[in-house]
Amino acid sequence: MAGHDESSVSRKKSSDSVDEISTFSAENMQNNAKIIYYSRTFMSIIGGVVAGILGFTGLTGFIFYFLVMAITSVGLAAKAGFSAHPYFDSWNQILLDGFLGGLLSFVLFWTFAYDMVHIF
Amino acid sequence: MAEDLVLDTAIRDWVLIPLSVVMVLIGILRYFVSKLMRSSNQAPDPKMVKEGQVIIRARNLRAAANYIPAKSFRARRVYFSNEENGLLYVPKGQAQNAQAQMFSDPNMAMDMMKKNLSMIIPQTLTFAWVNFFFSGFVAAKIPFPLTQRFRSMLQNGIDLSTVDVSYVSSRSWYFLNLFGLRGLFSLILGEENATDDTQRMMQMSGFGFDPTKSLGAEKDSLDIFQHEWALPKFEQRAEAVLKKLVS
Repeated sequence: MAGHDESSVSRKKSSDSVDEISTFSAENMQNNAKIIYYSRTFMSIIGGVVAGILGFTGLTGFIFYFLVMAITSVGLAAKAGFSAHPYFDSWNQILLDGFLGGLLSFVLFWTFAYDMVHIF
Repeated sequence: MAEDLVLDTAIRDWVLIPLSVVMVLIGILRYFVSKLMRSSNQAPDPKMVKEGQVIIRARNLRAAANYIPAKSFRARRVYFSNEENGLLYVPKGQAQNAQAQMFSDPNMAMDMMKKNLSMIIPQTLTFAWVNFFFSGFVAAKIPFPLTQRFRSMLQNGIDLSTVDVSYVSSRSWYFLNLFGLRGLFSLILGEENATDDTQRMMQMSGFGFDPTKSLGAEKDSLDIFQHEWALPKFEQRAEAVLKKLVS
């Protein structure tokens, strides 16, 4: 979990949090979206290696992937102070965006670690 | 059906790791090569840049329109979409021309071809290399079971039909690397531009199509925009903010 913030770019407020009128700074929102993407990719790689070392096979591994993604979502939400509005468009962007994007990297590193440790 | 094959350590040392390392290195190499090639023929077209900036201005106007009074917004809108000399108004004949010119422009065509080639050639070469050297044996075991239909796809060098489908050949290890390393590249190379050709093609053609289609699009969206001045509501906003500060 300590690794998910390694991109070391701070989040910036992207909108005023008062009633109707909201202004979005496009550049900051893009930055935040990039951070989410990097965090998820990194966590899926780490998760793949962990799953391989622990010897998960079949469905257990995929469940582990979703578990890792959920942990990442919780971590991101915590970093944003549990309020999506100043930083993102909506909650969905934090929680669900890029969920399946890391799947291929996860499978690659999972296969790699599993083979290294268990087969050879 | 769950007999466990024991695979030689030599396979791990000489197949899996070198293949992954080679693919990572080729990806990095391609990234730097594309960077070098791009910077050598920059020469931005002044007309293109001007039109891009006009579009950005129009977008800013639309985004912040509620913060200026109605009359000034209308004045600015007329400046943009005026029939005679408005910046966004592109007569039909001219629009077609620019697009045709974009495609026949030798520079553009060469650029796109170069980029496509720089994508395809390393992939083809690596695939041929993998097929030549690493075929005919079991390379890895994927940790999850697949159905029998995948057998022909994943085990194409192995001619035993009773081996578990989880044991795959090196060709499938190559494909797995191809897709899985995209995430890694985006982490270590900054932006995802080494392997995502669709994204780059959108960027490239964005510059080409921008003047013709987006001008019209911007003009239309500016025309239908409903101006709603934010000033009347500002008192309540100020009150809410002050309340939060005080309480």
